[in-house]
Amino acid sequence: MPELEIALTVNGRAVRWHLEPGETLLEALHAHHLKGTKLICGTGDCCGCGVMLNGNSINACCMLAAQAEDGDLLTVEGLAQNGKLHPIQEAFAQEGAAQCGYCTPGFIMRAYAFLQEHPHPDEAEVRAALAGNICRCTGYVKPVAAVLRAAELMQEQ
Amino acid sequence: MLKIAAYHKPTTLVEAAALLAEDGRTIIAGGTDLLVNPRYMVGVREVVDIRKLGLNYIRAEDGWLHIGAGATMRTVAQQATLQRLANGILARGDGWLHIGAGATMRTVAQQVTLQRLANGILARGAAVCGSPNIRNMATLVGNIASALPSADTPPALLALNAEVVLIGTNGERVVPLDNFFVGPAQSVRERELISELRIPLVDSDDLRGGFYKIGRTAEDISMVNAAATLKIQGGTITRARLVLGAVAPVPLRVTRAEEVLAGKLATEETFQRAAELVRDEVRPITDHRATAAYRRKMSAVATVRALRQAAGLAAQGEEWRHA
Repeated sequence: MPELEIALTVNGRAVRWHLEPGETLLEALHAHHLKGTKLICGTGDCCGCGVMLNGNSINACCMLAAQAEDGDLLTVEGLAQNGKLHPIQEAFAQEGAAQCGYCTPGFIMRAYAFLQEHPHPDEAEVRAALAGNICRCTGYVKPVAAVLRAAELMQEQ
Repeated sequence: MLKIAAYHKPTTLVEAAALLAEDGRTIIAGGTDLLVNPRYMVGVREVVDIRKLGLNYIRAEDGWLHIGAGATMRTVAQQATLQRLANGILARGDGWLHIGAGATMRTVAQQVTLQRLANGILARGAAVCGSPNIRNMATLVGNIASALPSADTPPALLALNAEVVLIGTNGERVVPLDNFFVGPAQSVRERELISELRIPLVDSDDLRGGFYKIGRTAEDISMVNAAATLKIQGGTITRARLVLGAVAPVPLRVTRAEEVLAGKLATEETFQRAAELVRDEVRPITDHRATAAYRRKMSAVATVRALRQAAGLAAQGEEWRHA
């Protein structure tokens, strides 16, 4: 299999990745030991593999890793700074907004993108923003509370 | 993992067209269909990324709105110059709206001209296409190229009389969207790429539009959707276009219903007559989302609600975003 090499920034660090042409961004993350981003549906329907690429929240399962060339990628591993959780992570913990927890990184990354654009959301806006994130434990109430709480925490900072 | 041997990233349209002239190659832009739906990878060994072709635009020019194949919805929506330019052209009523093959759903949903054009029916269609994450990736042109009958934006584009610009090794050709779709995932596109969609802006100032989607959630694929554009003078409909999605092998323009609408008063009675014709014309299938019978029944409901919106007669709770 011929190989590609791309340069990109992952969680603030400049890296070079060797890729197979058909590798998805999610597969490349896992291959580079960034396993916080989860594979759930693999068809773009659940947002469980949500990451930030160049400031937009996207699904890592349905784009080629090669398309991330020169990109600025932020994954759930990049949120905590100096051992301190990001306010969104803190709020999810405080509100107990996880059951099995597998969809949680996707919820958190979607919330991260949403709160950057809507720092003072109401509940309806939060529900609309999270509408694409699927939780098979059906735990939808607490993530909404957590995002509203995260907005407060981010204001206090 | 896609089973491909090569990933190409052309930087000119000529280079892209030459790459696509070879067997076993397909286009990737947003990738949200290509990577998840195996039907688009049948016989494909190599992919051609068209996102470096400078097609990320939505611009008004020569009486058309041009939407390029590469623009993300977001990038374009945030360019103030483009917003002003488009609005200016729309105000003069002599423009086309060009939408590049890279324009993502998000850009379309947020683009000021599209939000205003015919009550923003295209922006509304884009705004209910998948989840926020998908709208950040998917392109409007890709929604056309995939040619699925259940897609959210083709009905609005057909109601707006859009045209498709195709580029191959023999040059460029323009196909009215009316003649573009052939069947599920089939279109007249050969070894070509769609460089842009364009929408006529001439005479569009008083164009009224409606879009109604029936799905389990706003994010889910439509069970039925309907888009309508009307021109109304003194209470009488002078021009109508009516298109239904997810009820036939292709997005279905119901010209018989359009003929019934034209020349009639924009009233509930007229809309119900049009809806009856729609119910007779649709050819829906049964799948896990809905039965054919339900789709047929709902095609009439969606028609009436889209027409009411276009006529400014929508009831409370019949907003475009159905949940």
